[in-house]
Amino acid sequence: MKAPPVSISCQDLTLRFPVYGVDAKSLKKHLAKITVGGKLARSHGATEVTALSNLNLELKAGDRLGLVGHNGSGKTTLLRALSGAYEPDEGTIEVQGHVAALLDLNLGIDPTATGFDNIRLRGRIAGLSSKEIDQRLPEIAEFSGLGAFLAMPVKTYSAGMQARLAFAAATAVEADVLLMDEWIAVGDADFQKIAHRRLLKLVERAGILVLASHDVELLRLYCNKVMRLEGGVASAVTPIKNLDELMAA
Amino acid sequence: MDTATHMLRTGRRGALFEVQMALRDLRASLQRIDLAWSLAWHDVVSRYRGSILGPLWITISMGVMVLGIGLLWGEVFRVSVHDFIPFVALGIVFFGTVTGTINEGCDTFVQAAGMLSQTSLPMFTFVWRTVFRNLINLGHHLVIVLAVLVYFGSWRTANYPVAAMGLIFLVLNAAWLSMLVAIVSARFRDIPQIVQSITQAAAIMTPVFWPPDRIPARYHLILDLNPFYHLLQAVRAPLMGLGVAPHTYLFLAGMAVVGWALTFSLFANTRRRIVHYL
Repeated sequence: MKAPPVSISCQDLTLRFPVYGVDAKSLKKHLAKITVGGKLARSHGATEVTALSNLNLELKAGDRLGLVGHNGSGKTTLLRALSGAYEPDEGTIEVQGHVAALLDLNLGIDPTATGFDNIRLRGRIAGLSSKEIDQRLPEIAEFSGLGAFLAMPVKTYSAGMQARLAFAAATAVEADVLLMDEWIAVGDADFQKIAHRRLLKLVERAGILVLASHDVELLRLYCNKVMRLEGGVASAVTPIKNLDELMAA
Repeated sequence: MDTATHMLRTGRRGALFEVQMALRDLRASLQRIDLAWSLAWHDVVSRYRGSILGPLWITISMGVMVLGIGLLWGEVFRVSVHDFIPFVALGIVFFGTVTGTINEGCDTFVQAAGMLSQTSLPMFTFVWRTVFRNLINLGHHLVIVLAVLVYFGSWRTANYPVAAMGLIFLVLNAAWLSMLVAIVSARFRDIPQIVQSITQAAAIMTPVFWPPDRIPARYHLILDLNPFYHLLQAVRAPLMGLGVAPHTYLFLAGMAVVGWALTFSLFANTRRRIVHYL
């Protein structure tokens, strides 16, 4: 049985964020709102931010899409929506293929657990079985370069060591669709070099890459297409050679 | 590696569609039930990491509590220790499972915020995680239960199949309560405190530490309308070799059906919003 080809398809994707302020989360405020009715009515329901509006996107195997845009333009929101975490308010998202999102390296890292346990946990979350994790464990352990430290709790690690562990665990799972928020450069110079190679391999194996970045050079290096987001509104997807015009627009 | 190979997310398409999506979430969580189990097991192990006796502390602290309360309160109530210690032991253990599942339910989604905001993991997975974690704790407490049953001799008269059935009712009901407070706590941060006050009050109002026959007949409604009493009774009575009133099962079955219907419809309505609450 042949799996359908890897693809991403977004149609008229609109995503709104309800903003629940810190104090709006309190039940008292909510009840107060009901009891005093009209007084606060204007604040009721007004706090909704449209993070993405009417976005259309079609990607197929081989596409390496760079996302550019200012802070808060919706890049991360789009990535989270593609990862399946955010549900669209309108429109559809359809993704064929196994998705891996490298948005937050510290996903599921438990500082009190040992390095080994954290690798296992991360692997389980990514959808590996215990057996598959055991098979990959030596490779991940070697790559992390942490040696005997893997048997110690992560909280005893230095920040750089923690980053190494997180990176090694997060990149151990190959995926058809790779979502990245900024190119992850971690650790000391040595590690950055091998981390870079590993990411490249991961990108090569993935059918589709979506990379959000502010680094123009980086985008030129890895992407063949680019899309600009501005206040939740997306430009058309254009070849990477038009990046300059796109940025200037 | 066959998880989430096809993902379709759409905007709202009416109530029926939302229910279907909620059901899909439930199904997906059951297909990956081992993940919930791994997470729960990880929680228990990491809680006791660095301690020599590890999860056995759950058992020990429970044993100390049972002995202390059993001996002292047996005197206070002037009942024989022989009857009272098994009663209190079973009471504390199973009541603890119910309240533990509910209290920890408040953190279910809040704790999982990181994972929920960048993966397509089913939300139910985290509900099962909380339930399983408490079942693993219960597994440790069973040592106490066994010790008490054997020492005081009621293991011979205990009706295990009926107790197991009671336990199923207990878990079914604790699970929906746990999920309900999980959703509401994600939205309103006052709820965990309210929930804790309620479970604390329930510990006093329910015959966990005091024999139910001490209550005057005219106050019997405190028992008959107390869901915690029925939950407890369904498991404790058969283990003590006593019968369970039929209306207890009726009450628990009704509570499970109504509770799950309520919780599930709330979930269907809020499912796509929960991640934004966090």
